[in-house]
Amino acid sequence: MTPDTVVIGAGLAGLTCALRLTEGGCKVAVVAAGAGSLHLGGATIDILGYDPAVVTSPAAALGSFIRSHPGHPYMRVAPSLWAGALEWLRARCEPLHLTGSLDENLMLPTAAGALKPSALAPRSLAAGDLGSGGKLALVSFSALKDFYPRLAAANLNRAQPGPTERVEARAIDLHGTVAGEADPGTLRLARAFEEAAFRDEIVARLKGRIEPGERVGFPAVLGLHRSPEVVAELAERIGEAVFEIPTLPPSIPGMRLHALLNRALRKAGGRVVMGASVVSSASHNGRLEAVSTDTGSRRSSHGARDFVVATGGVSAGGVTLDSSWRFKESALDLPLAGVPPPGTERFCADVFGSHPVSRVGVAVDEEWRPLDADGRVVYNNVRVCGATLAGAEPHKEMSGNGISLVTGYAVADAILRS
Amino acid sequence: MKTIEAEVLVIGGGATGAGVLRDVCMRGYGGLLVERSDLATGTSGRFHGLLHSGGRYAVKDPSSAKECMDENRVLRRIAADCIEDTSGYFVTTEKDDPSYSDLFVDGCRRAGIPVEEISVSAALNAEPRLSPRISRVLQVPDAAIDAWKTVWGCVRSASDHGGRALPYHKVTGILREGDIVVGAVVEDRAGDEVRIRAGFTINASGAWAAQIAALAGCGGFTILPGRGIMIAMGHRLVDTVINRCQMPTDGDILVPIRTVSVIGTTDEEASDPDDLRILQDEVDRMLADGETLVPGFRQVRALRVWAGVRPLFKDEKAESSSTREVSRSHRLLDHHDRDGVEGFITITGGKFTTFRRMAQDSVDIMGAQLKDERACHTHEEALPDSEERTYYKLGSRLAAREERLHDEQIICECELIGRRALENAMQRRGSSDLDDIRRTLRLGMGPCQGGFCIYRSAGILHSLQRIDAASATASLRDFLQERWKGLHPILYGDGLRQARLDDWIFQGLLNVEQLQS
Repeated sequence: MTPDTVVIGAGLAGLTCALRLTEGGCKVAVVAAGAGSLHLGGATIDILGYDPAVVTSPAAALGSFIRSHPGHPYMRVAPSLWAGALEWLRARCEPLHLTGSLDENLMLPTAAGALKPSALAPRSLAAGDLGSGGKLALVSFSALKDFYPRLAAANLNRAQPGPTERVEARAIDLHGTVAGEADPGTLRLARAFEEAAFRDEIVARLKGRIEPGERVGFPAVLGLHRSPEVVAELAERIGEAVFEIPTLPPSIPGMRLHALLNRALRKAGGRVVMGASVVSSASHNGRLEAVSTDTGSRRSSHGARDFVVATGGVSAGGVTLDSSWRFKESALDLPLAGVPPPGTERFCADVFGSHPVSRVGVAVDEEWRPLDADGRVVYNNVRVCGATLAGAEPHKEMSGNGISLVTGYAVADAILRS
Repeated sequence: MKTIEAEVLVIGGGATGAGVLRDVCMRGYGGLLVERSDLATGTSGRFHGLLHSGGRYAVKDPSSAKECMDENRVLRRIAADCIEDTSGYFVTTEKDDPSYSDLFVDGCRRAGIPVEEISVSAALNAEPRLSPRISRVLQVPDAAIDAWKTVWGCVRSASDHGGRALPYHKVTGILREGDIVVGAVVEDRAGDEVRIRAGFTINASGAWAAQIAALAGCGGFTILPGRGIMIAMGHRLVDTVINRCQMPTDGDILVPIRTVSVIGTTDEEASDPDDLRILQDEVDRMLADGETLVPGFRQVRALRVWAGVRPLFKDEKAESSSTREVSRSHRLLDHHDRDGVEGFITITGGKFTTFRRMAQDSVDIMGAQLKDERACHTHEEALPDSEERTYYKLGSRLAAREERLHDEQIICECELIGRRALENAMQRRGSSDLDDIRRTLRLGMGPCQGGFCIYRSAGILHSLQRIDAASATASLRDFLQERWKGLHPILYGDGLRQARLDDWIFQGLLNVEQLQS
């Protein structure tokens, strides 16, 4: 089967684009070097959290943000697509009950006890929203090294969300090993929570330790694939609302979202080839004809009418920098924009500063096609989405999954329209 | 103002100062050491970790070479646990003058350095990543030495003999009564002043020695800070110290130490010992030099770059164009003879390898001034943890870890630090500064540079109830900022990807930037 579209990359941008194309009647093949970056995050869809002050309503803030950030990927997203992209994802991830909207950011507690603005989050995380304050009891497992609720609670008590809203947080320690292991890790704990006996034990140990009206926060390990049932059961048996806080990677909520999208794509008829890095490509008359992948055992060629580059940015390997300080777009060697000129700073001295490297990526036209330094389209049938795009500082803006979702959605839209 | 009494005050908490403290205490004096920062954070904590055989100086500076070899033997005896017996090769690469190697062999023989020629094929067998274009290999007893462990070992030994060290006590003034130095005024971490009354004061502040001497009104010399950068590469590229067999130059050594390999170094004359700039050009030169020693060097992840300053002594009258031309031998300034000031001497210059000898010479001079000559024993007694006289071996942490694989959390995966070791270090150091804990355990010094273990460590520090959340958060952020200094100039390849992941963890996932410290 020759696909209509080859999507390179299986992160949120690639999966969104591929799934939407498949649903639109395209034959799609996804080729990807790895599983993408969803496993690293809490599955929150952060549209815009800072500009640079904290954003309460992305819908209200986006207009001026886009005007003051020329070259930002959001600039190319048609206003009509925003709400559609969010609703589309919500419908595809029904079991996660994505909660929230463009109109108002949730303020979700982090494992360090800061508040993080997100537009959309799985209900199990959104239930910890502190936009209106509240009383929290954070459950700590001493065996889990990737979550420190005492520190989180103490910091939450210092960081008040607003002039009137109050947060009162405390930690409840559950000491000892988990399922006999001293160092179980998040995945082991998530699997333990899918066992009824383990849940019985946790509920028994928490009995009498929760105050009325306290929301009970757990590290985000409440089940892997059966999390909605696990969360619902715990809430019912504890008698108070239960929520999750993302831990250090691997992050279970990200794994859940990734698994859902992957399954939906395969079910809809999309093909996914993992462990396949693009190593070369063939083009003719400004059109890309095929990409070759190397899967270790053999090389394969993938031809298609349209191609989508969704390989991620620097952290995912979509953009690389070598020891001679040359940046490269790793799949097709597309021209990169925002590259700091030789002799200028690639980073600033403040670790949390605005690093020029963050903005390096591929510049695109209004059809999401890659542009060279003179603004000419490089390939007519290649489109770029997600973190590969130039012009964003996703960590500082708190816009990472937002960019991946809406640009992946928009690219699919552009291909379907053509 | 608080006043402390001490028989002997030692200024400077590097290897020399710690060695002096140990020496005076072992000779029966009551010693007190003050250091402006943490111990071994000046030059001693900022070198490549080489225990010299003396080979590096065999041609150019025979007396330094002999002194290095003598002290190499002593340290192997007394500080075995701090030393990995890597051995060292001097290799002639295609870029080196082949005639130097004969001079080298002669120089080693004259200095009493055991030198043995081994075949290129045997060397490549032992070190497969070494450039196959080398033409000659000479083996000498170089080794790797853990600076922090050695300095802390000296301080622990000194405290067994009644001594005490005060890190984070910065000297702001020297107390003089007429022509006699009677101690110093120091400022502690909280900014409070403390007066220290001492019978004798030894200035062992290395590259800062001229600044301290000036506080006592003693001058006439300068310390030329020779700034050099070093880069730690992501793993053990070699298990033997590799030196270029040529006159000392930039990028001529690769030292395998602990889990990494360190390439060094450059030599730029600085005007200020606190100038620890890292220039892009220096990084590029180091990477190119690494490629000459080990092909494929540039493809390896660079973990961290840092600069250190050599304390190179210069009397005001001496002429010199480059810092490398100044002798590396140490200098002892008897301020009684030089300046008519009693109770005060300065020891500076020298090398890490010879710190014990420098200490011995200093305390001998003190004894002569005090007309109280007591014998030195520092070369006889082993440092704490080195009593069994067995060398540190790479893999010892892994072996210990394997024994308790399922009953302890591992907090720093890169350096294999378990939770107990971390909690013990936090208790023992009594410090809430994660950077202090780093030096004690090598916490966060591996490939992820703290990306995973520092949040955990901050959480553990806070849960031990040593500090409140604001301080734990501040310590976390300070650690990240401090690491960043040595990261951003060498971020490329997988190191850059890792740094972006770490940035995602701290900004995207934890949002620590928004927390008030």
